[in-house]
Amino acid sequence: MEREVIQSVGFRNIVENGEVTGFQLKIRLPYYRGVFLSQLRPGTLTVDGEVFTKEQIIWCIRGEEYNPEEMAVDFKTHWNPTETAVLKVKKPGGLSQGYHDLKYGYCFTSSYMPPVMQAALDPDKESFVFMPEFGHHVNERRLIIV
Amino acid sequence: MYRYDKKGPKRGVALYSYSAEFGLTKTLEDCFEDVHDMGAHGIEILANTHIENYPYPTEEWVEKWRRLCDKYELVPVEYGHWIDSHVLGGRELTTEESVEMLCRDLRLAHRLGFTVMRTKMPVINDALEPVENWREIIKGALPLAEKLGLKMCPEIHTPSNLKGKMIRDYVEFIEETGTKNFGLNIDFSVFRNKFAEGEWKSPQFQPSEPEDMLPLLPYIYCCHAKFNHMSDEFEETTIPYPEIIRLLIDNGWDGYLLSEYEGADKYDPGYEVGQTLRKQHIMLKNLLGD
Repeated sequence: MEREVIQSVGFRNIVENGEVTGFQLKIRLPYYRGVFLSQLRPGTLTVDGEVFTKEQIIWCIRGEEYNPEEMAVDFKTHWNPTETAVLKVKKPGGLSQGYHDLKYGYCFTSSYMPPVMQAALDPDKESFVFMPEFGHHVNERRLIIV
Repeated sequence: MYRYDKKGPKRGVALYSYSAEFGLTKTLEDCFEDVHDMGAHGIEILANTHIENYPYPTEEWVEKWRRLCDKYELVPVEYGHWIDSHVLGGRELTTEESVEMLCRDLRLAHRLGFTVMRTKMPVINDALEPVENWREIIKGALPLAEKLGLKMCPEIHTPSNLKGKMIRDYVEFIEETGTKNFGLNIDFSVFRNKFAEGEWKSPQFQPSEPEDMLPLLPYIYCCHAKFNHMSDEFEETTIPYPEIIRLLIDNGWDGYLLSEYEGADKYDPGYEVGQTLRKQHIMLKNLLGD
């Protein structure tokens, strides 16, 4: 696994029945412990300026797919910090060959932090104070589609 | 499984310290070997971090865990876990749901050979006070903890004070219930009495004195040997370690001191926390006469 949140491995177009239906990328959890899915606060993905809202993104953890509503109520499925998650986005034709500027925002809650700090969490904005063990909310990377 | 029968304070390491490296440049076995290099015999893990497929590891993984403990002569001392009552955004878990979560961790801790748990309570404010139903949650899990021989211990950490209300509440609970399965983990951050100029310090924080631990000793089943700055002469410059260790030895305290390094610099590229831990273990070894 790479130190960057957005991994270079796993970024490609999705082909279904011979047709390109979308694209995917892999991310890791920049936190020192795993989280249950309901702790996740998924945000916005931007690819070369094109915006994909959280509703357009399917999270895939250990082979199982989840939409934001399913994640919000699932406090039994755990995402371990040593595993990546795959984000899948529908986009007929996929992404073009060459470089793409990716930006993705997400964060997570912690039961041992004061609730007032938790309520203010915004996946698309950095926290007031940056703490390395919680990582950045918004991460960017420039990667290539073949 | 490996046993270490030394009495008194013993050296161990909380694998939390490897947060910035674990899963990227270090495997669980690398961490174990590093601790073994230091001659320490106790280990604390974070369940949600170090257990593959937590909370449902395979029997194969558990076998590997046991093999690694034997190979590196490590005792599974403390199982770090969270009662995540705030896990849902929209509502709190009910007491029953929290108890269920806690019992799942008790069973897993026992399966891996642990005897103490660092039970992190969900907090409700800046003073890190626990949720109001913490007594009911703990009571719900006490029979299972007793059956499995486990001690659930909230960690007492800065800015808490050993003479503060939180500790009084916990001690009152222990005395009222007479339980041997709920106690305390003292994090030595509560003794920090030196701060560099301009360094941030919680306005609520009042350092505790080592002797404040005396009345609590029967309830302390584990300590976090927190350290902030080790000099090149192998001395901790912000926490009165010689006094703390002396008090523990003189009063016959028996348990593990688990090194926990919280410094944010461990996230700097190329930082090897094992080297920082080794500096502290030279100090601990000298103070303990190991």
